[in-house]
Order: sequence, then structure tokens, then C-alpha cells
Amino acid sequence: MDGSCSPSDREAHKGTQPRTAEIKVCKETGIPDLRDGLGSTDLSLVCLFVSPLADFDHIARDASQAFAGATVVACTTAGEIGSGGYADGHVVAAAFPRQSFASTTLELAPLSNLDPQSQIERVIKARRQLAREAAHLENEFAFLLIDGLSMREDELTAMLASGLGSVPLFGGSAGDGNRYCATFLAHGEKVMQDAALLTIIRTSCPVRVFSLDHLIPTDQRMVVTKAAPQGRIVMEINAEPAAEEYARILGIDPDQLDQSTLAAHPIVVRVGERHHVRSIQRATDKNELVFLAAIDEGAVLSLARQTEMDRHLEREFTRLRQPHAPSLILACDCILRRVEADQRRISPRISGILADNRVIGFSTYGEQFRSMHVNQTMTGVAIYPPLDGVP
Amino acid sequence: MSILNPDDSLERQNEKLLQISAALMRRVEQDTDRSGLAYVQFERAAALEEEVRARTQDLEHTLDLLHQSNSQLAEANAATERARADLTDAIETISEGFALFSPQDTLVLSNSRFCQHMRDVTQDLQPGLAFTDYVAKVSQSRFLALPVDQRPSDWAEKRLRRHRDKSVMFNVRLTQDRWLQVSEHRTGNGGTVILQTDITDIMRVERQERSRLIDRQARMVRATLDHLNQGVCIFDRHARLAGWNRRVSNLLSLPARRFQVGAGFSQILDRLPQDIQFEHGVSRSDLLAWVNRQSDRPPLSFEIRRGDSLTLSVFCQEMPEHGFVISFTDVTSERAAARALFEANELLEQRVLDRTLDLEDALAAAERANASKSRFVAAASHDLLQPLSAAKLYVSALNGPTRSELDREIIFKAESALASVEQIIDALLDISRLEAGKASFDVAPVPLMDVLTPLQSEMEPLARAKGLDFRIVSCSGIVETDAAFLRRILRNLISNAIRYTDQGRVLVGVRQKAHTLRVEVWDTGPGIAEADQDVIFQEFSRLNARASASEGMGLGLAIVERACARLGHPLGLWSEIGKGSGFFVSLPRANQTREQPTVEAPRSGEGILEQTGLIVLLVDNDLEFRRALGLLMERWGVSVLDVDDGESALELLEDIQICPDALLIDHHLDGDLTGVQLLKILQDRHPGLPAAIVSANRSSLLRQECQMADVPLLNKPIDPRQLTTFLAQAAEEAVGLQP
Repeated sequence: MDGSCSPSDREAHKGTQPRTAEIKVCKETGIPDLRDGLGSTDLSLVCLFVSPLADFDHIARDASQAFAGATVVACTTAGEIGSGGYADGHVVAAAFPRQSFASTTLELAPLSNLDPQSQIERVIKARRQLAREAAHLENEFAFLLIDGLSMREDELTAMLASGLGSVPLFGGSAGDGNRYCATFLAHGEKVMQDAALLTIIRTSCPVRVFSLDHLIPTDQRMVVTKAAPQGRIVMEINAEPAAEEYARILGIDPDQLDQSTLAAHPIVVRVGERHHVRSIQRATDKNELVFLAAIDEGAVLSLARQTEMDRHLEREFTRLRQPHAPSLILACDCILRRVEADQRRISPRISGILADNRVIGFSTYGEQFRSMHVNQTMTGVAIYPPLDGVP
Repeated sequence: MSILNPDDSLERQNEKLLQISAALMRRVEQDTDRSGLAYVQFERAAALEEEVRARTQDLEHTLDLLHQSNSQLAEANAATERARADLTDAIETISEGFALFSPQDTLVLSNSRFCQHMRDVTQDLQPGLAFTDYVAKVSQSRFLALPVDQRPSDWAEKRLRRHRDKSVMFNVRLTQDRWLQVSEHRTGNGGTVILQTDITDIMRVERQERSRLIDRQARMVRATLDHLNQGVCIFDRHARLAGWNRRVSNLLSLPARRFQVGAGFSQILDRLPQDIQFEHGVSRSDLLAWVNRQSDRPPLSFEIRRGDSLTLSVFCQEMPEHGFVISFTDVTSERAAARALFEANELLEQRVLDRTLDLEDALAAAERANASKSRFVAAASHDLLQPLSAAKLYVSALNGPTRSELDREIIFKAESALASVEQIIDALLDISRLEAGKASFDVAPVPLMDVLTPLQSEMEPLARAKGLDFRIVSCSGIVETDAAFLRRILRNLISNAIRYTDQGRVLVGVRQKAHTLRVEVWDTGPGIAEADQDVIFQEFSRLNARASASEGMGLGLAIVERACARLGHPLGLWSEIGKGSGFFVSLPRANQTREQPTVEAPRSGEGILEQTGLIVLLVDNDLEFRRALGLLMERWGVSVLDVDDGESALELLEDIQICPDALLIDHHLDGDLTGVQLLKILQDRHPGLPAAIVSANRSSLLRQECQMADVPLLNKPIDPRQLTTFLAQAAEEAVGLQP
């Protein structure tokens, strides 16, 4: 993109609809360019998805000054989704005008030591206050950004569910490329770790919060017989060292358990009719498997089969375009999906689909949907032009 | 791929299965420590997500509603609290005692002023107190001042009865002379509001006012009663004396101590002196009966008398509330005066009646006498005329050429005497006819000269015989009258004048007025004293005793007076002893002949002068000129008095008391006076009299003299136009002076 800005607004509903902009991380460009790209509309909320290549602190500081008056939330990514689909080394911004959006952002920190009851109360109060202040904006959803290495997503989402009630939540775990070293969040110029930012948004635009995956569970099951839940580490499966057993079941050599293999063979947990993806981050040299979601002994893991991701995505978006096309889809997409697309060499195709459907967002270390933390999904919100604005 | 590795030994497989099943069992039992919570939460979230979502939504909705209700409830509670506080504040601010009872008749709230003067009740005034208990407590309060004959229970019963009324308002008396006005008002839901207003001050002020008013009124009534010239007693409905004044004890001769408040009427009636008589048909018992009627008494009025010394008019009248008042008015003097007046009137009427009868008798007698006299005179006169005519015939038969001079003289005298007798008889007949009203008049327009000219020639010889200057100034006027009677009137006046004038002159002139012509007969006779001026018009009265048959018997003026009265011609007289007399008869102008003269009529010409009746004194020594000028002016309707010198002019004016309207004087006169000198004398006597000097002398000396005398000079020969101009001016002034 060469540092150029690419506003992707539709002409219609200019000023009321979310706006997006992006810059490539380099010396010549900075937040002011991003701001110019977003236009001069009075903004309520600005979301920044920042490549780990960028100086996160610097960007947070600049953004809070450039968008004074608006709430700025930002996180580091495992890759960005910009106006052209998958991207790397960019800062992607989604901005929400005050005219049709109102928001409130709660800092939840430190995640390692949260009192559920008081946090639930905070959430409820924040919701009520926003509802009072912006009662005229009838649609509501919650957007969560969380430290992707905190391993507290399951607890937090379960906790937040009590506070959010019927407000649909989606979110993503901040990423650090494929390094898994350090992820950051920023609220204004305040940069945080071991934290989450819950932003509750009310809007006059119709919204639809969704979650999709393209996996089908198989009958091939495994039982976790030994695990360390705090570290999401599974030591034994079927009373055998986990990595070896997993490799045996896949019919491969344990040494071949790299990221692309792991991405290609996702594991799901079935609960009733539904299944939930529990992705494996990596295999340790102790034949342990490190998961990207909560896991415990006695869990029954099913091997899942992948369908064609691009077709599946196309189908899902077609459904989201009914009855009208959204003006923006803010999405949290699992890093493993991008890995899979790369592996299958359908990334350009996926990027095309994403661009066609105005998807903005980032690649995550995990997705939050309603009260659950899952992996290897795409979750997000589709934002539609107001009904009265539709020709 | 099997869950077990087929390559393992059975033991190993068995061991693994045991481990697997143990892990599963732990999982199922959720026997996990704190570290496994995250996965449990995930499991639960996954299992219950949908259900929890739905429940949560419901719960949230319910919570919302609850919140809403709670906040509404809180608001309502706050509003209620505020309202209650406001109400409490409000009822505290009002100055009345205020209490609200619920529809169930229990006390809801009251302010601190409610029952504040009943300290033994206030402590019980708590919400929930029943109305009946409240009334009972009040009735037993030692601060309630009950009437002597009322027990607390009676009061309470009465009070509760009042409570059932729709609206209640009554006053309550408390001890220490305090008063409360209590009113009840029903609220919309059937509750009761009781208001207590402290009206102590109002009651006290009112009571003071009332007693002050009563005192003042009583004093005023007392003063009024004492002020009255009437005696007044006031009795109440029980016929007991309630008030009286001092006068009443004087009038009734009752000692003042007998009048006591409460004394009964009959008691007082009994004490009245026995010599008091009731009159006008009302007796003592009637009065007692009137009093005993007790109500609806009609006003009663009568008089009482005590001998002749006192008469009282008594008036009894009922008052409101069936008391009555009796007033006594002393009418003694009025009654006495009325009696005297009545008696005097009767006497007077009798005398008037008597006198009227006398007068009627006298009048009847006089009328009879007068009628018989008139009849007698008429009869006698008529009867006398027959033998008189015979006598005249005989006497004329005696006369003849054969008679001697002496005989002839005797015969002449006899004839003359007979003629006088005939004249007297004619006069008597005239008078009797005039008096009897039987004379008939033939009133018609008569030219005055038609009457005067014959008289001139008839009287001329008589005047000449007495050496008198007799003159009639001619006049062209026409009058409305009876010609025969006018002639008789004037002849009598002229002959009288000639008869009584021994020397000097007799002048007859006519003065023209707007609507009348006045014929004036002037003489230079002896004059008539004012006292005699009425007498001369009576029959047979003559002032000079030397009346002879030939000179009449004094019937002339009697005929003149009666004839003038009958014709409606005013008769006037001017006379002065030693100077002479003038008789004036005013005659109406005959208006059909000529237009009335008006000031606006054309000034020039003779026409004007004809109607003015101007009298001009012409003094000139030239007889021819005098005649000619006199003739000219008479043609113009001007009367001319002409004399030949100044002395004669002065004498004439002196004699006849006539003031001419203008003077025309020749400067050259025969006597001692010049014309201008004469003019000055005359103008001194009659200032402003128009005059002109006439002269043939054209010297500037005369002109200067005339200028200095401010008199016009007419040169001879006279220019008639100049003369008419002068006369017209004179006429204008004359009319101005004598309208």
C-alpha cells in the first residue's frame, strides 16, 4: 500500500457509518495520516489493530492525541485484515462516528486477579449508564480485546456473560505475530498487559454478531488423561504422552507436529449438538501439547475435518448480506485460519472475499463469542446501514 | 484410529483404559481443583450457553421492569413524603386550628393550633383517634364553658348530631371568655376537615361595640324623649312601663316617683287623677281593652280633658314586639283658640248675612227709585214737550209787526225762555236715554271737520257776544264715532267753555296720535279746583251760582260724561284755578280711509305731514302772507295757530296751554319783540322746539343772528319745498317726543 490511505467508505451514509483507514508501518507515515484518512467526522470510538512491527507505545500516544474526544482502543495483532484482506505490517483503524455510535470502555486488569462479582457489577453499571446516555441508539453489542497470552479468556468470558446479559459479545485475543512472546493492549495512551478492554457499543445501525468455523467433528476421539490446566498443557492423551498419541492418531511422526500440521488437524470438544474448537498452539519437546484454550483431564477431544474454507466463508458472508449488505464487518479471525489458508494457498482468494465484504480486523490468538473462548473461528460484527437509510 | 494403540500389550491397554476411565470419571464428577475451573466454565458455558442466554434475557427484562417499578415506587414515595411534609407545613402556616378526619372518622392529622386552648385534650390528638372519642374528650374538657343547664354528655350528643349535617358551623365558648368558631367541611372522599378559628377578639370587640352602641342609643333616646314637648310613655309587651320622660308626669299630674320601670299599665291608669275626662268616644275601659289586646293593636287617638285648664291629645301606637307607646300632647291653647275662632267666625258670618240683606234691600229700593225716576223724567219730559210746543206756537203767533217794541222784546224773551226749556228737556231726555241704556249709536267714519265746521259757525256768535276770541284749528282727520253724539259732546264742551269764560279766548284743536285723534277744548276761564273736578260731571251741578235758565241747568257735562263712557271715548280734563281748563276727548281713527303713518314713510312731500297732525305757531305781521301760508300748510294737514306779533303769541300760548309742534316766526314784527327774541323766549320755555325764522331781509346781519341762535332762516318768498323739509323734520321730532 506504500503508506497511502484507503478510505473505504461508501458514499451513502457518510458521516453516520463506520469509517476505516490503514497505514503501513514505516518511518514516513504515522497516526496523522490515519486521521486524515478517517476524515474529520466527530468520532466516538476508534479501534486500532497494530502490527507487532510498529512501536505500539508511540502509536497509542499519537492516537490518543490525534483522536482527542474519542475513545481509542488498540491491540497488537498476529496479522491485520485491511481493506484488501489479509495484511501484515500495517495499522488498521475502524472509526465510529458519534452521530450513530456511542460507546463505553472498561479496563479489566489484572486478569490474574479479578473479583468476578465486582467486575460483573462494573459491567452492569457501565451498560446501564450507556443505555441511559444513548437510549436513542437502540442496537447494542460488546467488543472485547484481551491479552492473547494471559490464558484467562475462558474465565473472563464466563464472568462477563453474567454482566452483559443479553448483549452479544465478540472479541479477539491480541497477537504477537507468530512469536507468542508479548501482546499489548492500549486504552488511549495507556498501554497494558494482563488486561482486557471491554467496549460496549450502542448504535442506530442494525448489527449482527456472528461466529463461524468450517470444521466438522469426526468420530475419532481422544481422552485427556493428564493435564496442567493453568498452562493449558495436556501431558497425556489416552494415558500416553500427548504429542505422541496425537501423532499416532493422525498417523504422522511426532516430529512433524508443526504449526501447519496443527492447523490442518483441529481438535473440537462436542457439547450436545455443538462443537467448539480447541486449537493446539504447539507441541513441546516433552511431548506435551500446549492449547490455545482451557483444557482439563477427562476432556473428550474429537478430531475435526476441514471443509473448504473459502467456499464456506463465501457461503457465510452471503448469509450475512441478507437482506442488505453490511457497510462494515469488524472481525477477529484466528491466526490458525490464516495459517491454513496460506498452507492451502487460498490466502488471496480469502483476502478477496474479505475485501469484498468490507471486513476489517486482525488475526487473533483466540476468539471470544458470547460466553465462550474458542479457537480457529472467525467472529465479528456485521454493521448495516440504518434501515431508514436504505434506498 | 482406535483410542488404544493396537501395538500395546493387553496389560498396557488395560492400564490405559483404566487411566482413561478414571480421567473421564473425574471429569464427569467434576472432581477438579481450582486450577481446572477454566475448563469447567468453558464446559458449562458450552452446555448451557443458549439456555443461560434466554434466561438471562428474561431475567434482565424482569430486572428492568423491577428497576423501573422500584424507581417509580421510590419517586412515588418521595412525592408522597414531600406532599405530606408540604401538607404539614401548610396546615401549620394557617392561623386556624386544622384537623383532618378520615372517611372512617379517625383523626389523620392536625396542626398545633387545633384545640390549643384545651390543654387536657391536645395530648390525645394522635392519628387514629376516633371522632366520637374526640368529641367526648372535648365535652369533658375543663376548658369548655358549658351553659349551666347542659351536661358534657348533652353537649357531646348535640355535637355528634351536628357532625351528621352536610356543613357545620357553630361557635364554642371556652373558659376565660374565649370563643372558637368551629366549622366542618366534607372532603371529596367523605373525610372531614375541622377548622377552629379563634374569634375571641372579634366577639369581645363586637360585644363592646354592641354595649357601647346600646348605651349611646339609650342616651340618645333618653335625651330625645326629654327634649320632646310631648309626654311619652313606653310599655313593653307585658304592658309594663319601660320608659318615659319628665314631661309626661307634668302633663298627667302624676308624681315622678310613681313612674317606675316595670309598673303595670293598669296600675298607672288607676292612679290618674279622677277628674280627667276621656273624650272623642274613648273611655278608660276602651283604652284598657286596647292595651289588653296584646298584639295587632290599631293606632288609637283621642283626647283627655281636665276641666277647662288642660286638654291633652293622646296617641297610642303599637311598637315592634308588641310593646306600645303612648304620647300626650298639650293642645289646651290650640283647642281654646280654635273654639274662639269658631265663635268669632260664627258671629262674623251672621253680621255679613245681616248686612248683605240690608244692602240687597237698599239696592232694590235704589233701583226701583232710579227706574221710577228715569220713567218719571222721560214721561215728564215727553209730556212737557207737547204743551211747550204749543206755548212756542202761541208766542210766535203773538209776534207781528203790530206789536210795540216793548212787546216785541217781551215776546222775544218769552221765545228765548221757551227755547231754553226745550233745550233742557232735550238734555234730560238724552240723559235718561243714556242712563237707561236705550240710546242707540250709529258708529261710522266721521271726518272731524264735518262736525267742527258747523260748530264754528254756531258758536262764533256766542263767543263774539261775550267778546271772546273763539277759534277752531282745522284738522283733516277722520274718526270712528257716532256723529250726532260727537257733535253734542263737542257742542256741550265748547258752549260750556264759552259760558264760563268771561274774557280771553276759547280754542279748539285736534292733536293727532298714532291711533287716535284728541279733540281739545281750551279756555281761559276760572279753572276748576281739583276737588270739584269730579262734581262737574254730575247732573244739575254748576260751579258758578249764576246759572240761569238761558245758560242751562248744568246738564251738559253730565251728558258728555255719559255719552263718552257709552261710546268708549276717553275723556280727560286739565285745569288750574285762575288759568283755565282743557277738556280732551280721544277718538279712534277710522282706519279704512288711510294708511297709518309710519316713520319709514317717504320723508318729502305733503303726504307725510297730513298724518302727523302737526300744530305750527305762525307769527307774522303781514295778514295776507299769514293767510296764504296758513292755507298752504292746512292743505298739507298742518294745524296753524297764527298771530300778528310776539306779545299775542306769548299770550295765546299762555292762555291755551297748547304747545305747538313747530314755530315759524317773521323777524320783523310790529310789537317790541323781534322774531329772534320771541324765538329765544319760546325756546327757553319749551327747549328743543323746532323753529325757523322767516324774513324778506337778506342782510348778513340777520343771517349771523340766526346762526348764533342756531336757527334756520327761510327767505321770503317761501320756497314750499324748503318749508316741507322743515315741517317734516319737526314732525319727526314731534312723533319722537310724543309717540
